[in-house]
Amino acid sequence: MTFWEIFLQQLFNGLLIGSFYGLVAIGYSMVYGIIKLLNFAHADIYMSGAFVGLITLSLFANTFVGNAWLGIVLSLLISMLLVGMLGVLIQRVAYRPMLKAPRLSILITALAVSMLLYNTVMLLTQGQYKPFRTGLTHDSFFVGPLRLTETRVVLLVAAIALMIILHLFITRTMYGKAMRAISLDRDTCQLMGINVFQIVAITFFVGSALAAAAGIMAGVYYGTVHFYMGFLIGLKAFTSAVIGGIGIIPGAMLGGLLLGLLESFSTQIPFVGTVWKDVFSFVFLILFLLFRPTGILGRAESERM
Amino acid sequence: MLPAILFLLNKEVGAKPKIKGRSFKLLKNKNVLLLMLVAVFLVFGVFGCGGPATPPADEDAGEEPAAEFEGEVLLGIMVPTTGSEASDGGDMENAALLAVEEINAAGGVLGHKIVTSTGDDGCDPSKATAAASKLISEEVFSVVGGYCSGATLPTLKLYGDAGIPFVIAASNATTLIDENPGWAFMINSTGDAQAAKALEWFEGLGVETISLVDDGSAFSVDLKDQTKAAWEAAGYAVLTEDRVETGTQDFSAVVTKIMDAGPDAVYWTAYQGLGALLIMQLRQNGYEGIIMVGDGSSAQELIDLAGPDAEGVYCTAPPKVDFLPAAQDFISGYKEMFPREPGAYAGLMRDATYLLVDAVERAGSFDGEAIKAALAATDSFEGLSGPVEFTPQNTLNRSNFVIIVAKDGKWALAE
Repeated sequence: MTFWEIFLQQLFNGLLIGSFYGLVAIGYSMVYGIIKLLNFAHADIYMSGAFVGLITLSLFANTFVGNAWLGIVLSLLISMLLVGMLGVLIQRVAYRPMLKAPRLSILITALAVSMLLYNTVMLLTQGQYKPFRTGLTHDSFFVGPLRLTETRVVLLVAAIALMIILHLFITRTMYGKAMRAISLDRDTCQLMGINVFQIVAITFFVGSALAAAAGIMAGVYYGTVHFYMGFLIGLKAFTSAVIGGIGIIPGAMLGGLLLGLLESFSTQIPFVGTVWKDVFSFVFLILFLLFRPTGILGRAESERM
Repeated sequence: MLPAILFLLNKEVGAKPKIKGRSFKLLKNKNVLLLMLVAVFLVFGVFGCGGPATPPADEDAGEEPAAEFEGEVLLGIMVPTTGSEASDGGDMENAALLAVEEINAAGGVLGHKIVTSTGDDGCDPSKATAAASKLISEEVFSVVGGYCSGATLPTLKLYGDAGIPFVIAASNATTLIDENPGWAFMINSTGDAQAAKALEWFEGLGVETISLVDDGSAFSVDLKDQTKAAWEAAGYAVLTEDRVETGTQDFSAVVTKIMDAGPDAVYWTAYQGLGALLIMQLRQNGYEGIIMVGDGSSAQELIDLAGPDAEGVYCTAPPKVDFLPAAQDFISGYKEMFPREPGAYAGLMRDATYLLVDAVERAGSFDGEAIKAALAATDSFEGLSGPVEFTPQNTLNRSNFVIIVAKDGKWALAE
């Protein structure tokens, strides 16, 4: 392969993994924007989404024999709904009673929820990897020098479509406007008659549903799911959210894409390779944050969301 | 077990109310506490995999030795029956018990009936020392076992000083060789043998260039380094060396690098979970060369996860009984006696026990020196996992790794 062929292939790899990071990062960013909570449980919601998707997909296993994508889309929608409600439930039980408590207390409940989800799935699956069978073939085709499969193209398009829909939701609807208002000043919003609890619940619903979508897409793409799958991606998505400017949604998407591309390209650099790629990308990020502490899109006094 | 625990609890709870103070209020309600503890116990009983299902067979108590035996001899078994490695250790104990039963049924050794005593090394050096001392004080004529190399290590000198021959079934770290005072015999291949086996098989397939991938664990990096050294010493090229992180799912960057380099074969040196992901992503990106995985990926799980993509993948595996045609009787006998699968090292443990008995018969006595000499002189003893002969360092003189291949969704012997 020539330099440009490898460049293009790694660019595509980076975009795809980066869009997964971005989808998860959005959830971190939204929740932080609205209630200033680092929601540690978010990575486990991503993982739960993958498992709920695995279950719903197996229910449709015999219904859509001819068209695998139909089953996947249907189970994606159902899982997004279910996991979104799980997010709302977690918010209601573990976070809402703590909203007036010191910020550290709510951080601890978030950790507890994370442990609960993680260990429950570990017990139920006995810590084993589970195959995620979709019935999709991986026949590849070439666009110029780029080797693509149907799955990869559809997933990348779907991830970007989800981000655009979310952006429209935040900027063009009343709910989005309310979210942005709450992130600026919660108490005033309450005085103005905005149902703050309802908006917080919607935020959790949307964030969790997106994480579930990312989880299922990862299952479809990689072919296996595991109780541990959320840990690393959670860490990286959180990092993406910070690079992008935490609380700012387009920032989370950009941060995810940037991190994905960095990782993908750093493997090609001599002496960095796959062994040092994480060190390389994180050193780069430290330097970046030193010069721009608020992240790509963050300003010292910006409107969050 | 349960009644005993309940009895203890009852005593505990009965004693508590004497302490004054409100904080013990809950404990006064014996029934509630008992019920809770029983519930907890039951839940753990359901979820936990349970201890190894070994029959209480320290000594065959209650069974009169058959009339034709001249007497009894005591054989020591040293394996971890508790702790993290209790599952494999239990399998090994079972395999030894099964072998001993077969040997006794066939008339014992030199007219004597074998009885066994198990020392639990707990996969821990200090426990292993205690277990060895126990076996030595019971005056066993020999010991079989050894699973965790770290636990086996300090016992070598103890057995050596006591003049007790020790056949090591599974432990295979190269450090054991240096510490061996001459009384221990290792029937499992040592670490470097796997790399040698991989090299041999690649050469047979006409492979000239390879890519290596590990997951950063000490074990997988060691295998990668050994393979690289052996491969380059043989005059071939390693095109890429890559690492993936545990917990990651995306190998696309690694796969693109490998596709670019275009090796004849890819060798994955770590475990099955990530191995399955690597295989799937290599195949999805159109890699059509040979894929081989190390013994950490020899579980059936690899094939279950990777599905059709696993077809034709080779693996350098330990001599598990499942793959050994000679072991079918052993497997059925094992399953009849114990309600579980034999596990990875049961075959080696069975071989260790039979080898020892063979050596005693050749020595013609239960004298330690004589058995040691007979073991050292072992000449193509036929075990389930192949012929056993020792090097001057008392290690197996060949690689006992086998090459298996994924075929129709199952591992099968490739050789």
